[in-house]
Amino acid sequence: MKLFFKEHLLLIVIQIIQFSVVMVIYWLDGYRHAGPALYSIMLGLFLLSGYLAYQYYSRRQYYRRLQEPLLSLDQAPIAEALEQLLRQQYRYYQQQLVTIQQQQQEHLTFMNQWVHQMKTPLSVIELTVQNVDEPEFASIREELERMSSGLNTILYMARLRTFEQDFHIRMISLSEVIREVVQDHKRLFIRNQVYPDVQIKDGDLWTESDQKWLFFMLSQLIINAVKYSTPTHHKVIISSSIQQNQAIIEVQDYGVGIPASDIKRVFEPFFTGENGRRFRESTGMGLYLTREASQRLNHRLEIESTIDVGTTVRIIFPSYQRKD
Amino acid sequence: MMQTILIVEDDHKIAELLQSYIVKYGYHVIVTTDFEHVLQQFQQEQPDLVLLDVNLPSYDGYYWCRQIRTHSICPVIFISARAGEMDQIMALENGADDYITKPFDYGIVMAKIRSHLRRAYGEYASKHEEIILHKEGLSLYPERLELHYNHQSVLLTKKEADIIESLIERHPRVASREALLEKLWDDQTYVDENTLNVNITRVRKKFLDLGLIDALETVRGIGYRLHVSWSKDTSL
Repeated sequence: MKLFFKEHLLLIVIQIIQFSVVMVIYWLDGYRHAGPALYSIMLGLFLLSGYLAYQYYSRRQYYRRLQEPLLSLDQAPIAEALEQLLRQQYRYYQQQLVTIQQQQQEHLTFMNQWVHQMKTPLSVIELTVQNVDEPEFASIREELERMSSGLNTILYMARLRTFEQDFHIRMISLSEVIREVVQDHKRLFIRNQVYPDVQIKDGDLWTESDQKWLFFMLSQLIINAVKYSTPTHHKVIISSSIQQNQAIIEVQDYGVGIPASDIKRVFEPFFTGENGRRFRESTGMGLYLTREASQRLNHRLEIESTIDVGTTVRIIFPSYQRKD
Repeated sequence: MMQTILIVEDDHKIAELLQSYIVKYGYHVIVTTDFEHVLQQFQQEQPDLVLLDVNLPSYDGYYWCRQIRTHSICPVIFISARAGEMDQIMALENGADDYITKPFDYGIVMAKIRSHLRRAYGEYASKHEEIILHKEGLSLYPERLELHYNHQSVLLTKKEADIIESLIERHPRVASREALLEKLWDDQTYVDENTLNVNITRVRKKFLDLGLIDALETVRGIGYRLHVSWSKDTSL
């Protein structure tokens, strides 16, 4: 009853306001007879109570059930048994949930440790290979880089889950990040005979971001640009500039482009699309991770592509400072 | 006086590789084997710089770094597989001077060692001998950017010197285009095939200036080789 009254309180208040408004209008218009006025109000109230009564009686079971605690389904033994069962089920699922969460946590920790452990053997191979200056070893180095970038993707994937603890926002120079990432992928460029054309327009732009994630995002874009340029095109333009009062980093290639049917889905996890099937080693994770990170960092990501003309990806930063 | 570097790394392969590489640059290198008494060893050897792994048996690198810091201000560089921001902050807060993440490059390790030694002990603390590369009467002075032959000398640009250095080091094998490109590519300028071609032409001209004809041989599809055509008496 209480719940029912609460739910309909607003309706009652509005009705009363309506009555008074109507009365006041008639009164101001010069019609001043108390008898018919009261009568019409009585009539109105009567209809309202009729409606409410009907509502209440037709739904009283429902209201009563809602107000009663789950405990008392009924007093009959069969009802109690059912209730018992429901509780057990609930507890069982809760336990399942906890177990699975624990397992997942263990798995994550294991993956993390494993990836870090793999880095030592990688370092040993890397150092050994660096000592020998033969063409065959260049190929081993190439594979090493591939492994190490694969391991990094796993690490970033794991970090995405604990993003809130992992990131560290500060002012970052876009030109500096571009320079570092390009430098870091020096061998990738040379090996694929694709060369970066870095264009720092509109001065040195600084924006708030996380150094590590921005580095990762830009790396993914550059790796893609290089991958899809090879072997026919030899240039990738990486630029920073101001467009529509926003700072942007743009990575543009003249490669194969992305089919229109695929472009909407490139940010989905594990999506490799047409190009993924034609080129080797697409995991479908690079752009997904890039987008996830950009959303968390409050950057925007835009992609445009035309088949056989090329692809342009932009990271857009809503605020920036310019230091010359 | 040789400067001493202490390597504290539990993976002995990495430690050995690092050791043999750093020794080449004229440093005395000691590798720790007893990870229980790192501090004692530090005090015994009095190294000028320490390379310290974070994950060590018994105590971790942070602990040893703090211990070292109570006795010495010598530069400490951490080497670790963990690349997280927090790990780096931890390292620096525990008194480290720098941080290198695995897998790393010899070049980076060497550059960091040098820069920290310089910062800590000054430019001339180490008796640095000028590097000179010789090949059949041809002498390259990479630090002066000069090439000498038969009492004649020419001035080089940095890029030309880099190319000649690679050619001499690789001789009699071919220096691949990729390796040359990698060498020419530095922080500020990104080279492409054209840059390499232009510089190769210039190097040829420099050789000609010294009276060396056909000293630079093109190996199609692979790269370039130094062709020692000038010394008749000595074979390869």
